Amino acid sequence: MNNPSFDYKAAWATITQAFPILQSPPSLPESDFETVPFEAVNTIKLLNLAEQIQGLVITRMEERLRKDIVPQFWSHFKKTDHDSATFREFHDAVKFLYYNYMKLDLIMNKLIVLREASNVAKPVYNHACLHEALKLIVKAVLLSQLPVDQQWLILSFYEKALKRQDCEEESYGNEQCCGCLQEQYVCQCVEMFQETNKKLGKMALLEPLVGQSLTDLIYNYIQAHIQKICKDSFDTSHLESLEKWLQSVIISWLKKIYYYDCANRSERFINEFDQKLISYLYNAYTKIRIDQLFNIIIEYPDSLPALEDLRLCLPKTDLKPHLTKTLQKAMETRLLHPGVSTSDVLTAYVATIRSLRILDPCGLLLETITQPIHRYLRSREDTIRCVVSSLTEEGPNDLAEELVRGEAVQVDENTPVDDGVEDWETWTPDPVDGVTSKTSGLPRTSDIISMLVNVYGSKELFVNEYRTLLADRLLSQYSCDTEKEIRYLELLKLRFGDSQLHYCEVMLKDIADSKRINQHIKQDLNYSEDDIPMSAMIVSAQFWPPFKDEKLELHKRLAKQMEKYTSAFETLKGSRTLCWKTHLGIVDLEIELADRSLSLSVSPVHATILMHFQDHKSWSLDALSKVMHVPSTILRRKLSFWQSHGVITEREPDVFHLQEEQENKENNLQDDIVVEDYESESAMASAQDQREEELQTFWSYILGMLMNLDTLPLERIHQMLKMFAFQGPTIECNIQELKVFLDRKVREHQLIYSNGLYRLPK
Amino acid sequence: MKLTIKNWTGVATWRWVANDDNCGICRMPFDGCCPDCKLPGDDCPLVWGQCSHCFHMHCIVKWLQSQPVNQQCPMCRQGWKFNNK
Repeated sequence: MNNPSFDYKAAWATITQAFPILQSPPSLPESDFETVPFEAVNTIKLLNLAEQIQGLVITRMEERLRKDIVPQFWSHFKKTDHDSATFREFHDAVKFLYYNYMKLDLIMNKLIVLREASNVAKPVYNHACLHEALKLIVKAVLLSQLPVDQQWLILSFYEKALKRQDCEEESYGNEQCCGCLQEQYVCQCVEMFQETNKKLGKMALLEPLVGQSLTDLIYNYIQAHIQKICKDSFDTSHLESLEKWLQSVIISWLKKIYYYDCANRSERFINEFDQKLISYLYNAYTKIRIDQLFNIIIEYPDSLPALEDLRLCLPKTDLKPHLTKTLQKAMETRLLHPGVSTSDVLTAYVATIRSLRILDPCGLLLETITQPIHRYLRSREDTIRCVVSSLTEEGPNDLAEELVRGEAVQVDENTPVDDGVEDWETWTPDPVDGVTSKTSGLPRTSDIISMLVNVYGSKELFVNEYRTLLADRLLSQYSCDTEKEIRYLELLKLRFGDSQLHYCEVMLKDIADSKRINQHIKQDLNYSEDDIPMSAMIVSAQFWPPFKDEKLELHKRLAKQMEKYTSAFETLKGSRTLCWKTHLGIVDLEIELADRSLSLSVSPVHATILMHFQDHKSWSLDALSKVMHVPSTILRRKLSFWQSHGVITEREPDVFHLQEEQENKENNLQDDIVVEDYESESAMASAQDQREEELQTFWSYILGMLMNLDTLPLERIHQMLKMFAFQGPTIECNIQELKVFLDRKVREHQLIYSNGLYRLPK
Repeated sequence: MKLTIKNWTGVATWRWVANDDNCGICRMPFDGCCPDCKLPGDDCPLVWGQCSHCFHMHCIVKWLQSQPVNQQCPMCRQGWKFNNK
């Protein structure tokens, strides 16, 4: 300096007085409201030290922040156990920080004066304005010492505030504040909350300090809220109320917070955040609904609102693949396992079809989802039976309703595609996100019955099963409501076509004809009934499914009666005669015993047994078996029916007695006797037996082959059968089935199998 | 014990009393019906010729119509005459 007598000490004293922070130890006076320190400014200007002083002051401020203020601020964030104080804790922390910040800001004011006076324009930390620089410094120091577990306090503070807001929306009459659990009029939560936000906003710390926590909090809160609302209730639509809730609670609350954000971006920011939140809301809601989708489907007609919601959500989110995966998995774990009965699988399947129709009208999703169900249903043996019986069942039933809706079944193959040429203008391509399947080229139908039939791909199986069921029903209840059956038949014809159901038509006609013939015969003067009123169901054997072949010799009295009936029939219908299926039919009995009387409808076997017992009071099993031509094992089963009614007892092994009087009640409850559920037994030959019969037709071919070629492997036999025997629309048989068939022939010594070759025994 | 049978409903299948199972013309079972018919029995009866061969009535009538001269039984080539027994 050019003035050697300059009093540097005095100058330093002036400067440190103006900036007490430069003293050592540095001090931050409690009341530092001196107006602009002109003297110090002049001194500095004189010494041309403005930049150096400024640097020094800022360094000291940083030091102060680093060593003192920020550690103290963060010390509030130590985890404590008692929760109630957290609200105040954060408030106090912010208050403390703000207080110190304000003091530092005053120093900044002085520095600004200094800068103006000495024309220093060099920006500090890239900020021309020192206030901004201070904010930057505070932020930097704060974040540099960020403790690991700082979030919890902020989270708890805002969570309480948010809860409070939510409570307010829900119930105005609540006297208690949810935040501090105090009476509303003494509660200061709102003030504290606002004050805190305001201070944070002024320090520009709102976003850096609490932004992330706030986002997390809100996401979690939304998630929890949706969980709470959507739990197990599918019968109301929540989408609208949720969106409203988001606007009125979350967004307005956010606005309250960011109102104080000093940076002038609040409007845009809120809007952006708004969008983000709505999309998050949709995502969260959709995910929850997708997880519940299986239940939603099961409760189908009641869960319609939930489905509608989901339909609206799906285009807004990108969760279709997730939906497909989740639903398929749910189906596998909850539906497609042996513990579920076939009829339940079918019910669920129908519900699935109906619900997915709503979700995805184009049917691609449906196809993807139902493929595993198809595969599974195909592997169950009683599927067709279940479908057919539920088709014709009475009472409210999905499938029966579908049938009444009436549409022709479209079996995949060779059905002309005439789908929707008229509405080509509204055609949209298949969504690309569905799993493309190999069958996607085929027309998709959402008709439930068609889909069920397509599980097997053939109408014949269905029609056959229907025929068997119909036959059973007709035989088991002679008086059966043919009118109803005819109505069903007509409905089925609409779907399966006339030719397929022609046999069933004949069956129904047989029943009607039988009634007429019965009447005719009863009026016939040459026909007389001694003591057994007789009627007959006269069926056309060619059109009914094969009957189970059982032998039964009827009682003489009845046989005589039957002969009479037959001859009456022969005179009525020239050149025709009757072959009785003695084991089929229904007998209405009245049994008068010494102490009671019973009135029952039983099968002919049961009736015949009793008729024999009427002749002799006791029978040995063998003797009865000989008279009735029924194997003794079967006969024993049949006898047990009467035993369970207490009419017959087995006093000694294999000898049965008629029991006129019941001995005592206890004894009568013969628990160990299995009551045969004779109604459940089908009069028709089982499907397996029928199949066997069909395979038998190949036997002659196989015999011929082996006679000419001596030995043949299984594959050759199958190939040759394919060439010669499986022609036309007749039955086919796969190699597996053929193997089973041939193996049985080997067991029966009709074939010899060695070295993988079959040959005939010599 | 007094056993009263109030009603016995038996099941029987009907069949034509004929010396063969299948119609010699359409090769369908007699108890079924000819290819043109839907319902068996009364609606598609059998007829016997004096040569004792029998056919579905519809089948033999069709056959006879296709033979303008020499109406013969398709089985034994004797002149066809209905046997009205």
